[in-house]
Amino acid sequence: MSSGDDHVELLQGTLDLIILRALSTMGPLHSYALATRLAQVSDSPLSLNQGTLYPALIRMEQKGWLKGAWGRTEANREAKFYSLTRAGERALTQQTERWRRLAGLVDKLLLEN
Amino acid sequence: MRRTIRRLLSSLRPGHAERELAREIRSHLQLLEDQYVANGMDVEEARHAAQRAFGGVEQTKERQRDARMFRWLAGWPMDLKLGGRMLVKYPGLTVVGGLAMAFAICIGIVIVQVVSLFTSPTLPLSQGTRLVELRSMDAAENVQERKILHDVLEWRQSLRSLTDLGAWRDSSRNLVIADGEARPVSVAEMSASGFRLADGEPLMGRVLVEADERAAAPAVAVIGYHVWRTRFVSDPQVLGRTVQLGHEYATVVGVMREGFEFPVAHDVWLPLKTSLLDQAPRSGPAISVFALLAPGVTIQTAQAELTAAGRRIASQSPLTHQHLEPLVRPYAMMVVPDGPGDLAIMYSIYFFIVVLLALISGNVGLLLFARAASREADLVVRTALGASRGRLVAQMFAEALVLGSAAAIAGLLAADLALRTWGVVFLETNLGRLPFWFDLGLSPRAIGAAVLLTVAGTAIAGIMPALKITHGMGHRLRQNSAGSGGLQFGGVWTVVIVAQVAATVIFPALVYWEQTQLRRVQDFDAGFEAEHYLAVQIERDAPAGDDPTADAATLERDARLSATLEDLRRRLVAQPGVLGVTFAERLPTTTHAQKIIEMGYDMDRGGPVSAAGSTSEAPLRVATIAGVEPSYFDVLDAPVLAGRGFTAADALPNARVAVVDQSFVDQVLQGRNAVGQQVRFRFAGRAPANPGDAAAPGDWYEVIGVVPDLGVGAPTQRGRAAGLYFPDTPSRFDQIHMMVHVRGGDPMTLAPQVRDLATAVDPSLRLIDMRRVNEANDDIVWVLGLWLRITVVLSSLALVLSLAGIYAVLSFTVARRTREIGVRVALGASRQRVILAVFRRPLLQVASGIVVGTAIVFTGAWMIRYTEFPGSERDLTVQGMATIIAYGIVMLGVCTLGCLVPTRRALNIEPTVALRAE
Repeated sequence: MSSGDDHVELLQGTLDLIILRALSTMGPLHSYALATRLAQVSDSPLSLNQGTLYPALIRMEQKGWLKGAWGRTEANREAKFYSLTRAGERALTQQTERWRRLAGLVDKLLLEN
Repeated sequence: MRRTIRRLLSSLRPGHAERELAREIRSHLQLLEDQYVANGMDVEEARHAAQRAFGGVEQTKERQRDARMFRWLAGWPMDLKLGGRMLVKYPGLTVVGGLAMAFAICIGIVIVQVVSLFTSPTLPLSQGTRLVELRSMDAAENVQERKILHDVLEWRQSLRSLTDLGAWRDSSRNLVIADGEARPVSVAEMSASGFRLADGEPLMGRVLVEADERAAAPAVAVIGYHVWRTRFVSDPQVLGRTVQLGHEYATVVGVMREGFEFPVAHDVWLPLKTSLLDQAPRSGPAISVFALLAPGVTIQTAQAELTAAGRRIASQSPLTHQHLEPLVRPYAMMVVPDGPGDLAIMYSIYFFIVVLLALISGNVGLLLFARAASREADLVVRTALGASRGRLVAQMFAEALVLGSAAAIAGLLAADLALRTWGVVFLETNLGRLPFWFDLGLSPRAIGAAVLLTVAGTAIAGIMPALKITHGMGHRLRQNSAGSGGLQFGGVWTVVIVAQVAATVIFPALVYWEQTQLRRVQDFDAGFEAEHYLAVQIERDAPAGDDPTADAATLERDARLSATLEDLRRRLVAQPGVLGVTFAERLPTTTHAQKIIEMGYDMDRGGPVSAAGSTSEAPLRVATIAGVEPSYFDVLDAPVLAGRGFTAADALPNARVAVVDQSFVDQVLQGRNAVGQQVRFRFAGRAPANPGDAAAPGDWYEVIGVVPDLGVGAPTQRGRAAGLYFPDTPSRFDQIHMMVHVRGGDPMTLAPQVRDLATAVDPSLRLIDMRRVNEANDDIVWVLGLWLRITVVLSSLALVLSLAGIYAVLSFTVARRTREIGVRVALGASRQRVILAVFRRPLLQVASGIVVGTAIVFTGAWMIRYTEFPGSERDLTVQGMATIIAYGIVMLGVCTLGCLVPTRRALNIEPTVALRAE
């Protein structure tokens, strides 16, 4: 775990987008792989623990964006694999668009200053 | 939405999701462990490292549960089960609290049901939502104009937004069947379209049709199911029979199905032959109008068209229609009185329900608090295991909800029974026969009200004590004091206890007041042997609403009626056992009119009042007026105390004589000789709208005699009324009451002969409300008795709740202070000191409640006296005051008795046991 300036607080709502994007790029992943992937892609350590990941997964599953199914890993361990549903794909498009607009707006404001 | 449903399902059945979560976390840990082993750790080390890396498993599960389900809902099945067990475990609380809440809910449902009959009535007809009533208001006088036949005929031609426009005219007539007695029935002379739009299907024969309305059409009648069953003994051959309705004859052509009483509460239908009626503007008979909104038309659209039609008629007949404004209203609203005053009454009734429920639920809350306090240790353990405050509050709310639901079921059943038995009688006593759409069965609205009241009552009774008991639970846990008696009854409960003890004092005072009223009505002395007199009201056979103007026709009708009544009297007097027959405008002991009078003799200054009597300073006095037939005093066997009684000549229009009663002599004349005094009404007609306006006084009347008090006044009025009798012929009375003096025995045995003779004399004479004179106020007695019973129940409930509350508080106090009491006793403290120390606060609360309640009672009594009976004798007599104070002392005693068991328990505590208590 990191501290001080390296610590990146997740913006409200961005975790969903990150998970959707990871599943879209990597295909079905279990929660451990997802957590590892999120740690890999972040340049600085992400303030994410399992206490954040699991509620996000169940929330998105209940919304119908993800579908969880039990399967076997390469090492023959059982794990629950999450994959995107059609609704999840649509949500990814919408969330990406929303994020771009928001980021563009913030960038613009920062450049002006 | 989808997520909400899934969360809801997961909340109610969490088992599968819980197993899934545990499995997933196990798999996650296993994968982490594999990774660490692959990196070179041994298995044991890798397992610990995986757990460290994962973080708190339980916390992760908790957070996932928070996202997955509605936590407040999760434990409900269990909480409800626990609530059910609590009901059985604490039967005393269940019975007392449950009954109290059931009573509050029952009262609430009954009130909502009755009020909704008036505020949002529904018609049980297939086209009920489209059925409307049309009326015409005189904007200048703010009264309804009912002579609108002219307008109806115009509307029928021009209006497009309204169809099946029809009218009816009410008349009560005697139905006379060959060889049968004459009995009044409610007749509607109605347009044939009424049958169409009110689903009127005949059981036999046919309904009325437009052809029956032609002037030359034969007279036909359709009879209602009830009349057919009772008056025609379900005669299958009734069609074609000729019946007499008042003075007219008609052939029965149809019998309606059961339940058909359109337009309001009618038994017999005749065609409305408009061509025979006066059709001039604002003339003719008083009628009511119904119509159907055309498909797709709103009431606003219809109103706009009707207003335009109204303007058109007003331009054609400006003299009569300048101020007339036609209105369209939902049909069932016709019996609803409108005006802001009624709304205020309605809201105050709702406010009463809320206050009653809040009071009772607050008291039940107190009991639940005491119960929860005894389970504090259990709550502490749950908090220590991670249960949030919200979770504990939800649990206690669920427990209260079980009690509340049981109470709601009992309340609903009781309300249904009360509405069906007393509700109908109560409404009929006040309103007369009820309209066909008045259904006193439980409506969805009433059931909704029951649900709302239950949830609200439960919220007060369950959440309030839960918040109180869980307040600072975490802090107490850390201080290691939770469960050891750190809980206290705070300010809220002090208020609740004081309020309930105050209510315990107030309700009996109300009972006392209501009983005084009831006794006043029952004890209203008629001044003669009223139980030997048969009374019956006689109605003349004129269509309702017609102007009794003094035209030739009216005079002739009056003369005919006088002759008829005289004939009836003669035949009745000839009956064995009948001692006399007389007539009066009002029955003795019922409500009489009051009028302001002036005396010809100035009581204060002596001597006659100046000629300009109305402008002088002559004191105004109120007298109670009784119009009687000259034989009245003789038939009542009333002795004439001074002067003489009435003679037949006194009833002539120019006689101008009056008789006063003893109370009049005592109050108005202050004991002076009444005979020869002059008296007149201050206002000859109606009193002027503004006190400053001039109004002509009436003619002078000479007092010719004095009689004892003979039941003049109003039954609920306090004190004696000053009675002033005027002689008149019965045909000029606005109500004709006949009184028959029967020798000994029950005068009601004469009832069949009275009916037979009346029918023989004139079949159109309608006899209503035949009863003994001493039973004239039975209706008022019944209603007052009902109120009294309700208040007695409320009163008993307040007392039981008070006692239960006080008992619970004291038991709780003793339990909480067991250790302290033990130490005090061990150290040799006297019993009195221990009692004082422990019970000072509860006793103070009880005493405050009694003081507050007594103060409210006295203030209320003072206000009633001040506003209702200014200047009259004291309403709250010394005896009354003594009763209330004595009751307060008794209450204190009873409350002290409630302290007895906990006190004994406290004093019997062994010091060694007390010290081991923790």
